[in-house]
Parts: sequence; structure tokens; C-alpha cells
Amino acid sequence: MSAPILEVRGLTVRFGGLVALDGVDVTVGAGETVGVIGPNGSGKTTFFNALSGLYAPAAGEIVFRGRQIVGLEAHAIARLGLARTFQSSRLCLGLSVFDNILIGMHAQRRTGLADAVFRRGRFLGEMREALGRAAHLLALFNRDLPGRGFERVGQLPQIDRRRVEICRALAAGPALLLLDEPSAGMSPDETAELMRDLQIVREERPGLSMIVIEHDMFVIEGVSHRVVAFNYGRKIAEGPFTAVAADDEVREAYLGTERAGA
Amino acid sequence: MILVFLTEVVVFALVVAGILAERSPALLAMGAALVAAGSLVRFVTPLRVALAAAFAAHRTAALAGGALLALALPLALRSSPYWTFVATLALLYVTIGQGLNLQIGAAGVTNLAGAAFAGLGGYSVGLLTVTAGWPAWLAVLVAPWVAVAVGAILFVPILKTRGHYLALVTIAFVFIFNILMNNLEFTGGPQGIKNIPTLRLFGWAFTAKPSIAGVELPAHANFYYAALLAAGLTTWALRRLHDSWLGLALNTLRDDEIAARCCGVSITRGKLLAFSIGNLWVGLGGALYAVMVGFVSPPDFDFGYSLVMLSVVIIGGVDSIPGVVLGACLLLPLPERFRFLHEYRLLLYGVVIVVMLLYRPQGLWPAAVRRYR
Amino acid sequence: MPPLELLLQQAWNGVMLGVMYALIAVGFTLFFGVLDVIHFSHGDIFMLGAFAGLSTLLGLAAIGLRAPLLALPLAFVAAVLVTGLVGVVAERVCVKPLARSSPLMTLLATLSLGLVIREGVLIFYPRGADPKPFPQLLPQGGFEVGGLAIRYENLAILGIGLLAMVAVDRIINRTRMGAAIRAVAQDPEAAQMMGVNLDRTVDATFFLGSGLAAVAGILSGLYYSEIHFIMGITAGVIGFSAAAIGGLGNVYGAMLGGLLFGVLQTTAAALIPRGSEFRDVVAFAVVMLFLIVKPSGILGEKSAERV
Repeated sequence: MSAPILEVRGLTVRFGGLVALDGVDVTVGAGETVGVIGPNGSGKTTFFNALSGLYAPAAGEIVFRGRQIVGLEAHAIARLGLARTFQSSRLCLGLSVFDNILIGMHAQRRTGLADAVFRRGRFLGEMREALGRAAHLLALFNRDLPGRGFERVGQLPQIDRRRVEICRALAAGPALLLLDEPSAGMSPDETAELMRDLQIVREERPGLSMIVIEHDMFVIEGVSHRVVAFNYGRKIAEGPFTAVAADDEVREAYLGTERAGA
Repeated sequence: MILVFLTEVVVFALVVAGILAERSPALLAMGAALVAAGSLVRFVTPLRVALAAAFAAHRTAALAGGALLALALPLALRSSPYWTFVATLALLYVTIGQGLNLQIGAAGVTNLAGAAFAGLGGYSVGLLTVTAGWPAWLAVLVAPWVAVAVGAILFVPILKTRGHYLALVTIAFVFIFNILMNNLEFTGGPQGIKNIPTLRLFGWAFTAKPSIAGVELPAHANFYYAALLAAGLTTWALRRLHDSWLGLALNTLRDDEIAARCCGVSITRGKLLAFSIGNLWVGLGGALYAVMVGFVSPPDFDFGYSLVMLSVVIIGGVDSIPGVVLGACLLLPLPERFRFLHEYRLLLYGVVIVVMLLYRPQGLWPAAVRRYR
Repeated sequence: MPPLELLLQQAWNGVMLGVMYALIAVGFTLFFGVLDVIHFSHGDIFMLGAFAGLSTLLGLAAIGLRAPLLALPLAFVAAVLVTGLVGVVAERVCVKPLARSSPLMTLLATLSLGLVIREGVLIFYPRGADPKPFPQLLPQGGFEVGGLAIRYENLAILGIGLLAMVAVDRIINRTRMGAAIRAVAQDPEAAQMMGVNLDRTVDATFFLGSGLAAVAGILSGLYYSEIHFIMGITAGVIGFSAAAIGGLGNVYGAMLGGLLFGVLQTTAAALIPRGSEFRDVVAFAVVMLFLIVKPSGILGEKSAERV
């Protein structure tokens, strides 16, 4: 495994008396995809929220691209190259498809307020290029989407919205992409399409590292190099999918709360 | 292109005639003509499509034509200094509305203290000219920055509170501002500041009656053109800011702060920029108002005016730059037009706004999708 | 530093004001509870309550009924009915239809509705622009306890106010409708699935809240011996402030917030130079600071940001 892009050590998050994450260690290598599984409430999303700076950890460290990021604000962490999607999509439904993707490029903008007001040519040139990149990203997943770029996102079907959200994350040119249950609320057919989409992401950005939270074990098996299992805020297993899926504690955790997915 | 100009001239003629119609039959005829023209466009689809296409194709020409007619309005209204004044007021509300729209519409920073920030601009002009003896033009340029600086007091609440609570904080601010203005000695208490000197640019006093091509205009026309310049400048600048990275970032943080943060948008920077830039223009509106009417007093900037400013933004269309222009140009003159209903004026105003919100909540001219061109 | 007696006296006066504020604040908080909206015309409904009470009293006096013990209760009943109904109409017409759109819309709509009510009273009440003298119906005179002057009138106002608050507590905690209101405040959808009639519950909440404002309105008339059509603006902002200090959605928080605001106002008046003019500056500044430090209010639940 190459030099890790993310090293999480002893990460602990508390809400009042509740320990949501308890001393979690996770390492992600460059270009690696790590799957995260675990029953509801096991701390998976909390893990993402701590990584992206939305929750302040009570203890532990997060080293991202060689830099300690605990205590940084969410937008600063995003600018370091960490992008994410959300379990229930967080797009701005009233804004256009393009706008929702362009905001992902916001951190890399080269023109400022003065350009936008006075040096219009310079600014518009940058926007043309940005719109082109957004259209390119959309076309990767669905060739009809660039044509709908100036429609409001609220008019797109669920699967395309998820794609827009992935495009927004990719538009930031991240080094690490966090996908929080991309198949949530999707039919089996749509999930199959999503698997193909994730494959496209992999081909488009070969060096990109990913962490994927999923309940759908087929998705996890299909996309991850390595799997981490959470339960009650602790990491209970780590390794290749087959090994983790066969792990007694993991089976117990799932059977205790819901049917075993694998 | 001819269609564009023709439409603009017809609208202009209808508006001017509507304003100047004195007797009820003439007014009724004008109202009927407006309704007829409106429904013609609304219900005859080919005409509507043709007009939309013409305006889309000749945007520059349409804007130029509109600007020309705006310049010509004082000529058409020259018989009535009062209506020139009302038109000027509407333009000041365009400036104020654009500033407020950046805060409320674009960034979702519910600022109900618009009246206080306009008041800060107005009172600063009063103090700088009357007390400190500055020339009016300098005071008008500096006063908006006072509004921005004092607005910094609200930075912390703006970052810490949202929604209803932020609304309450800003309402509290208007009340505080009003009580202070009413009771502090250096602001003149309930009487306010009187005898604010008029603007004087290159030796031209704004109280002198200008004449264009041999036609003499009322003195208010001076302020009309100053307000037109301010409104045009504000609208131009904010239109460009709307279609910029800032506009996009503000819209995103308005709709979803968490998503915005995870896209690298600094909420602090965004809200502070929106709030400060907005207050600058609101303050400018207030400053121009002060030199125009020549005095400022507490009731000119009380909470009720915050409500008028808010309705300009929302009725026009939240986050819509042309909407603000339309909103100000309708909401300010209309109650004046219906002066003969004088006592029912505010009552009807309230009813109209409620009805509008119920049946056309997106505003008269809803915000369009950004196209970056 | 003013003498302690003066401070105590001012605090006592503050409690008086606070009782009225609390009654207004309870309305704000109830409406917020069931519909998640701030009903900005509530201040004007309070004003309307005062005018309805005054009209009833004048009407009763005209038919020769002047005995306070009979006239006053009748005035309360009439005012509560009138404002309760107006409150329900306001909710049906412009609050509930907009409750699902952005808070900005309900804000502007209810502010405008307040304007309509205010202007309505100004125009349609005879000589509506003038302040109206409110009949003194409460026993005059008073006594002194440890340097504290207590007027019978004030005791009566306090008593009526407390009675109204106890009544609210009983209605909310002991009746079926109260249970429905609590259920809707917690989770409207779950409440509906449990068989709660949402529309009726919301109507009842607005009737109750607006009725309380009427009680406050009459008390205010009795306290100041005068009512005016613009009295609702400041009262509304103060009521909203009190509800926010207490924690929006929490009825006891609103009561507490109202009392705090009243005491804050009057002690500020005693403590600072030219206090009677600047007391509201202090009170509103404290509200602003309070919201910054504790945005969820004293008794409001901490609303964790859900991601």
C-alpha cells in the first residue's frame, strides 16, 4: 500500500454523555476505496461528519495529506481536498444543475469580486471553462444531463440528483471522496446503475481515494478494496470484504439489529 | 428591435398617463387600458412569445431604450414636482432594495433593520453637514460607510442566530436605533436634524431648476437624476455580483449551510460580505434621502419602513435583481396614486401584500437561473 | 446607586408589566409550537383585544351596567371571543397557507396582516387615531410593605394575569385539546396518525393564544388607563422577545421570559440615567446578547444540527 492519504487515530466523538465514536483508527491509502459498514446508529455518518469538520472530536487525530485537520473549519478541510456527499442529498433544489456543480469549484476560483463586477471578460472566461467542466462531469454519468444544466435540480429524478451530488464533489478536484450511502432510497435497478457510476468515477479519477458508507453489501463488495465495520461507535473488524462479512462480531452486530446483508 | 422599443414606449406612455390622470374618468380609462394591455400580453400567446423573443434577442437595445425613457421621465412629469419626487423616492428604494436583497434574498440574512441602516446613512449626512460642516457631496459619499461600520455591531448575531431569531435581533436593532435617535441630544431628539444643505456639484445647486433643451424641470429633477444614477449603479453592480462566485456561494449557504461548508464556502465570509455590501447601498439610499428632503427625524426611519423595504424585495421576487426594480417602482408610487383613498391606503397596502404572498409567493419577477453571460 | 426600596419598587412594577408580556409571549410560543411560525400580527391582536374590551365596557355602561364585578368579566369574555375568532381567521387566511413556505413569507404576511388590523382600528374605530381613556374599574388605593407601595389595582392585575396563566396550564395539561396541542407541537404527522385533527387543533391553539392576548390587552388598558391603536407594535416585539428568551415552543419559558423582560425594563429604568427613556434600549440590547449566547432560550431544547 502506498503512503496513506488519511490516517485517523483514536477518533472519539461525544454528544453530551453519549459516545458516538470511540477511539476509531482508520487508514486510507492513495487510490484506495474503503467501505464502511455497520448497523444504523453505529457511528458511520458521525465518522464522516468528524472527518469533514462538522463535528468537533473529543479526542484523537485526523491526518489528511500529512496535515492534522482536527479543529479546522469544515470549509477549510474541504479546500484541502476532502469532498463528500450526504445520505439524504443536500443539493440546493432551487438552483440550477450547473450551479450545484459549480459551487464545488468555488474553492479553486481564480477571479474575485472586482473581476466579477469590472473585468467581466476575465470572469466570464473562467465561468465558461467551469461550465464546460461541469458539463463534462455530468456527461460521464448521463449523456442527457448536460443539456439540462440550466434546469433547476428539483426537476431531476432521484438518481440524477445523486449524480449531480457526486459531480459536485468531483468538481472540487478532491483527493479523498466520502460517499455517505449513495444507494439510499434507490431501487435495485438504480443501485445497479449507481455501481456503474462509481466504476466511472474510478476510471475518471484513478488516483482518487474514497470512503463509502453502504448498507447494500453488493455495492460494498463491488467497489471497496477493504472494508471497515463499525458497531456502537467502535471499529469491530477490518479487512477484505469476505473476511469482514464472515466475522462473527460483524454478523452478530447485523443480526442483532437487522437481517444480515451478506 | 422595433417591437422592443414600441413596447417600451407604450408602457412608458401608459405609466405616465396613469400617473398624470387627474380626474376619475381619465384614471378609469387609464386603468382599463393598462388592464387591457396586460391581459393582451398575458392571454394572447403568440404576442407573448413574440415579445419574449424580441426582448431576449435585443437585450442591450431593450436596456438602452429603458434607460432613455427613465432619463425622459422628468420631462413627461414636469408639470408635477410631486410626482417627480415620488419617482425619485421609488428610485431610492431601488437602491435600498438591491442592497437588502443581497442580504435577505441572496444570503438569507433576514435583516428587518433596513430602516435603521438607511437611517444611519441619513443621520450621518445630517451630522456631517450640519454639525461638522462638511459639503453635502462628501457626506453622501462617506455616510454609507458609517452604516457599514455600525452594522458591524450585528456581525456576531448574524453569525450566531438564524431565521426567526435573527429577525428578532434585527427588529430589536431598529427599535434601539429609533429610541436612541429620539432621545440623544446630538441627533436632535424627536425633531431630528433640520436644514441639511442641499447637494452642490461643480457649482450646481440641486435646488436650482434644471432645464433640458429649453424645457424647465422642477428642482426635484436634480435628485431624480442623482437617484437614477445611484439606482442604476446599484442594480448594475448587484446584477454582476448576483451572477458571480459570490452570488452562487450566498445562494448555496442560504439554501443549505452544511452543504456550502463542505464545498469550501466560508459561512462567516459570505454572510459578512453580503451584510456589509448590502448595508452600503441601504445607507446610500438613506443618505440621498436626507439631502433630498433636507432633514432627518426618527419617524422617517422607523420599523414600518423596514416593512416597506422588505415588501419591495419579496413582492419583486426574492433574489431577483429586476424584481427589486419592479417592486420598488410599483410599491412606492401605487399608494400615492391612490391618495384619494387616503385613509384606506395602508390598509389596502397590507391586503395587497398578503394576497400577493398567498397567490404569487415567487414574486412578480422571479429570480432566473444564472447563465453567466 | 438608587436605594434598595426604589429597586424593589421598580421590580414589583416590572412584575406587573411582565405578567402582560407573559400572556402575549405565550401566544407566540404556542403558535410557534404547532406551526413553526412567528405570528407577527399577534401584537396587533393584543391591541384589538384592548379595543374589544373597551367597546364592551362602553356598551355595557351605555345600558347602565357599570358594576366592575359584572362588567369586567363580561368585557374579558367578549374580548377573548372577538380576538380568538380574529386570531383563527388570521391563521386560516394567512398563517397556515404559508406555513410550509419560507419563514420570510410568513414573516412578511403576518407583518402586513398586523398593518391591516392596525389600520382597521385606526379607520373604523371612532376617532381611532387618538389614545382612548380606559375606565378605571379596579379598586383604587393601596398599602405599604417595607417601603414597597402596593396598589390594590396592581394586585388585581397580577391576580387576573396569574389566573389566566394557571388556566393555560390547565388547558394544556389537563384537557383533550391540550393534549392534542402538545402532540402536534411535538410531531404533527405522528399526531395526525394518532387521530388528532390537525386543523381543529391549530384553530384551537390560535383561539387560545389570541384570547390570552386579549386578556393582556385589557390588563394593559387597566394598568395604563389608556389604549392606543399603535400599542401593539412594541407589545408584539416585546412578546416575541419574551418568547424567544424563554425558548420558542415552551409555554413556561414564555411566561418566565415575559416576567424577566418586565423586570429588566423597570430595573434598567431605575439604574441608568434618564432610564425611563433608555430602558428599552437596555432591554432590547440584553435580548440581543441573550440570543447570541443562548440562541435556544432558557427552557428551549438544544436543537442539535442534524446532518
